[in-house]
Amino acid sequence: MSAEILRILLLVLQLGFLALLYLVLWSFARALLRDLRSAEQAQLDSRTGIGRLAVLESPDDEPPVGHTVFLGPINSIGRDVNSTIYVEDDFASATHAMLTFRGRAWYIEDQGSTNGTYVNGHRIDRPVALAYGDELTIGRVRLRLER
Amino acid sequence: MTARRVPLTGLPPRLPGLRLVLPLALIVPLGFAITNIARTGQLDPGPMDLAVAFVALVAVASAALAVSGYRGDPLIFPVAATIGGLGLVMLNRLPQQPLGLNLFGVELGMAATQLVWFCLGVTVMLVIALRLRDDGFLRHFKYTWALAGALLLVITFLFGREVNGARLWLYLGPFGFQSGEAIKVSLVVFIAGYLAENRRVLAGASLRLGRLRLPPVPYLVPLVAVFVAVMLVVVISRDLGTALLFLGIFLTMLFVATGRRSYVLMGLLLFVAGSLVAYQLFGHVRVRVDNWIDPFVDPTGAGYQTVQALYAFGRGGLFGSGLGQGLPMVGGHLPIPALPTDFIFAGIAEELGLIGAAGLLGLMLVLVVRGLRVAMLARDDFSAMLAVGLTLSLGLQTLIIAAGNLKLIPLTGITFPFVSYGGSSLLASFAVVGLLLSISHRTALAVAAEGAPDQ
Repeated sequence: MSAEILRILLLVLQLGFLALLYLVLWSFARALLRDLRSAEQAQLDSRTGIGRLAVLESPDDEPPVGHTVFLGPINSIGRDVNSTIYVEDDFASATHAMLTFRGRAWYIEDQGSTNGTYVNGHRIDRPVALAYGDELTIGRVRLRLER
Repeated sequence: MTARRVPLTGLPPRLPGLRLVLPLALIVPLGFAITNIARTGQLDPGPMDLAVAFVALVAVASAALAVSGYRGDPLIFPVAATIGGLGLVMLNRLPQQPLGLNLFGVELGMAATQLVWFCLGVTVMLVIALRLRDDGFLRHFKYTWALAGALLLVITFLFGREVNGARLWLYLGPFGFQSGEAIKVSLVVFIAGYLAENRRVLAGASLRLGRLRLPPVPYLVPLVAVFVAVMLVVVISRDLGTALLFLGIFLTMLFVATGRRSYVLMGLLLFVAGSLVAYQLFGHVRVRVDNWIDPFVDPTGAGYQTVQALYAFGRGGLFGSGLGQGLPMVGGHLPIPALPTDFIFAGIAEELGLIGAAGLLGLMLVLVVRGLRVAMLARDDFSAMLAVGLTLSLGLQTLIIAAGNLKLIPLTGITFPFVSYGGSSLLASFAVVGLLLSISHRTALAVAAEGAPDQ
């Protein structure tokens, strides 16, 4: 085989290699753009809320474990059936705590409950700003604030 | 803390990830074939065992993810594997002289050694991605992680072995590793944990110093203390690339957590001041900066590496010289010292040209965008901050070393993630990918549990 033909062959293979590389890159980029669009759509569809509470632990299963409660800006938590978030637990008070969205942050305030309100295992004695991912304990019920 | 159990079995397999790794089965063997044809001058693809082994490894890992019911990001692993594949093609093309591992009496060449590290790295990634059901041990023990990182740093500083003027290698018997890679990950875990906990306090400024608004000092102290301690040791041990990387990660995470530009501005001012001091105090910093400003002052001595890298970029041109046809040997050595590790980007740019190098950076960009997407979708602050930090550690590292090769910034010796030759870097990079996959997987399961449409 002459050197000239080999040179041309190598050039063709090299260009093929680069073309293949860009084909791969293109397939990744396409998947990326598709996901961006559908994520935008999903955000429009479902993320009108400001947050939600995931129920991590609930001995009497009300609210049910694994359930997610979508939150409005003002939520009362307690054993009173008229509470926004109704907690059927012997260790919870009737009006136990208030969970409110003020400005750009969530706050939890104890409403003079008998057994107290806990944030990440610490009992609170004044309104406390929450971060997404924080855990609340109301009686024996554990809840997690999520986006 | 295993509140929401992550079921691994019982979920039906999902296969789109497999389709994305298929092109690898073509691209890696093609790269090997071009190399062999160019080297021998015969129309012979040459030995393919390494290429086949690599493709098989990636395919098996993708299949394991799909079969185990993995529901997280389908793009991250294929992209990382493609970047790694390009690196393997490049390492296979280089002379296999710096023999790496001696495994059971068989001497392995550079590419083969790298492949062994790939196997280990992918295993680590799979274990983290599939078995990490709960990140509580990361979240709740952030100070332990900071301490572990700091301890590792001090141990390296005291007992490490010095290579090329920087003390980065820690030896346990015959096995050496670069501790900076592990410290990087533990530092990100600490910063993420700390910021997730104190984000609100840090975002609201309470202290005023003239026109500067500062956060409540007690909340900033642990963060800054850990960070300054790490930076001091890193700078003293002359690992400038890692110092720059840590600083970039720290400031960007602080900005992401608080959304306040003043922190970044203050950090950058401190960086400039620190750089000026370092320039005055340390000889090796001065050498690097002088080389950056004009490497042609001493083209055969201090500026040799940079000058040769610039020539390599120039020789490569738009389409490259072709695999196995560039990088002329100079006196029996590769044209650029430390080509397989620090200067692999220059090597790729010579043989695959501007187009190939840009493609490599494009792949990295896709990886970063996906990582940030994982952070955006995450349900709690810690996962989000962790994903941001981990993604940044890969992205910034690429930026620093590629820009260093190109003489855009002073050269600092760090690795190109997934591409550079080296076990520590590969293991750490795949561990980072594993953590990203696991965050993404847990987010997807939480979404599915609510019955919301999947993404």
